[in-house]
Amino acid sequence: MAATREFGATTDSTVIGPSILISGKLTGDEDLTVRGRVEGEVSLTKTLIVEPSGIVKANVAVRNAIVSGVVVGNITATESVELTKEGRMVGDIRSPRVIIVDGASFRGRVDMGNAEPRAATDRPTTQRPLVRPTVRPAVAPPRPIAKPMAPPPRTSSSSSSSSSSSSASSGKPNLPPAPTRHEPRETRENKPPPPPPPQPMAMAEAGKKKVLIKKKK
Amino acid sequence: MANTIIGSSIVIDGEISGDEDLVIQGTVKGKISLKESLFVEASGVVEADIEVQNVDIAGRVTGNIAATEKVELKADCRVVGDVRAPRILIADGASFKGNVDMDVKER
Repeated sequence: MAATREFGATTDSTVIGPSILISGKLTGDEDLTVRGRVEGEVSLTKTLIVEPSGIVKANVAVRNAIVSGVVVGNITATESVELTKEGRMVGDIRSPRVIIVDGASFRGRVDMGNAEPRAATDRPTTQRPLVRPTVRPAVAPPRPIAKPMAPPPRTSSSSSSSSSSSSASSGKPNLPPAPTRHEPRETRENKPPPPPPPQPMAMAEAGKKKVLIKKKK
Repeated sequence: MANTIIGSSIVIDGEISGDEDLVIQGTVKGKISLKESLFVEASGVVEADIEVQNVDIAGRVTGNIAATEKVELKADCRVVGDVRAPRILIADGASFKGNVDMDVKER
């Protein structure tokens, strides 16, 4: 009894001994040292230490993870994940800091979170052109013809930055319709094109009948 | 050497098995089977069926306990469940509700 109490008093952390198998869900707010096996799910608000004899087959959510043993499963850490030279892991790592030293064995994906904002913005721009084309043909065919000259230079510059597909099409002289479609779309969105055509009609009618013009306005 | 210690803030929901001593200061739900001794300390809470060689309980245990050698219920423990072991000690001050079976010759 005395021995056990001493143990409890001295160690503030949890230890899973080498011959122990835990299968299920393990949660806690303290450091966890694994020398045996843990299977299932581990979530801690502190550090998980997998020692060389330790085997963890689990999805792990912790603050820090130090892997010197074997981990099969995904690790999500709010601070860091470290694979030491004895560490072996198969699974995905998601953590702002990931350290893999020489000698470590790892297969899986690494996500450090802060993907460059550029990549994110590029994707949306490429998607936009794809969406717009479908709308254009139905709405207004005549306008592309009206603004053919100005668009080409803009399309080449914008297309190169925005999307690979559009730039490729615009770069080739064989496919003139693509660039014209691009610019018209933008202009149409900013300035409602449909009204202008009716106006000429109104003007002609106005010349004939002033009363009708006033009513329309 | 290293006993296995389940710290006071740890919660395990599942199964624990092994061949070494286990100290529980936290919470374990499910099942525990050991070939050695289990110590449930005062802060320990166990809601599990237990199969061990020896068990010392100072905390709270809900579940059936089967020991091949000895079960000891300490003074401030609270145990609910059936206890089966050749030797069973219940200290003064222990709280216990359940059946006791010391006539274990199966093992």
